[in-house]
Amino acid sequence: SVVCVFDPQSSFNPDETTITIKEVNVNIMGRVDYNQQQVNKWTSSICELSLTQLAKQGKPYKYIVNCAVMQKCGAGLHTANSCYWDTAMDGSCTVRWENRTMYCVVCVFAVAI
Amino acid sequence: MEGQDTGGNTYHLRPNYQHKFKPVIVKACIREILREQLSGVQYEPEEVPALSRALAESIKNKLKDAGFERYKFVVQVVIGEQRGEGVKMASRCFWDADTDSYAEDLFMNVSSFYSFSGCLRSGPNEPHA
Repeated sequence: SVVCVFDPQSSFNPDETTITIKEVNVNIMGRVDYNQQQVNKWTSSICELSLTQLAKQGKPYKYIVNCAVMQKCGAGLHTANSCYWDTAMDGSCTVRWENRTMYCVVCVFAVAI
Repeated sequence: MEGQDTGGNTYHLRPNYQHKFKPVIVKACIREILREQLSGVQYEPEEVPALSRALAESIKNKLKDAGFERYKFVVQVVIGEQRGEGVKMASRCFWDADTDSYAEDLFMNVSSFYSFSGCLRSGPNEPHA
């Protein structure tokens, strides 16, 4: 029979992931203002860099990373998630970041293999 | 491999063709929920948090009944107010491209835009809400 053992060292750590994502945001958008031509490149880069950093950890997880960048205009933005998964092993974290001209919301979902 | 006669292990590592996630079906499910719940609705800052949570739950519950065995689901709903601001969303995934996939839909009306995605992956343990 197959026994799945829960190893705390290789489980998803939301706090560690939050720090990683914040560093990625600062790295890519720390010194720029909202620019319609560049925003496509930024969102892709944030997703790809975050995914690379997560995969590097070598944990037995699949990941989904979503990134939304919105210009600061006084408009509202809300995100909500609902997941059907293994609540013991799987997890998510949402990281909000902003600068003078834009908001950035990154959601990471980690699903155990 | 099937293990029917020996009574041995019948554990399937990968879904076969009929049981794979089908984005077209999921997109249709999402679209139906959007039409039902968002037609004629205006952006109200006090109500939007509850609305987005309710939408995510409805979509997840609908997917649970859609018949995808051994799949886990991740549903994200984004609701934004239309004020002429620029918005860009992107997502990337690190998964098994053979078994896992996603579906998304966008609903827009005069006051707001709504974006939905349901992502799927297969796993050995029984998922639960």
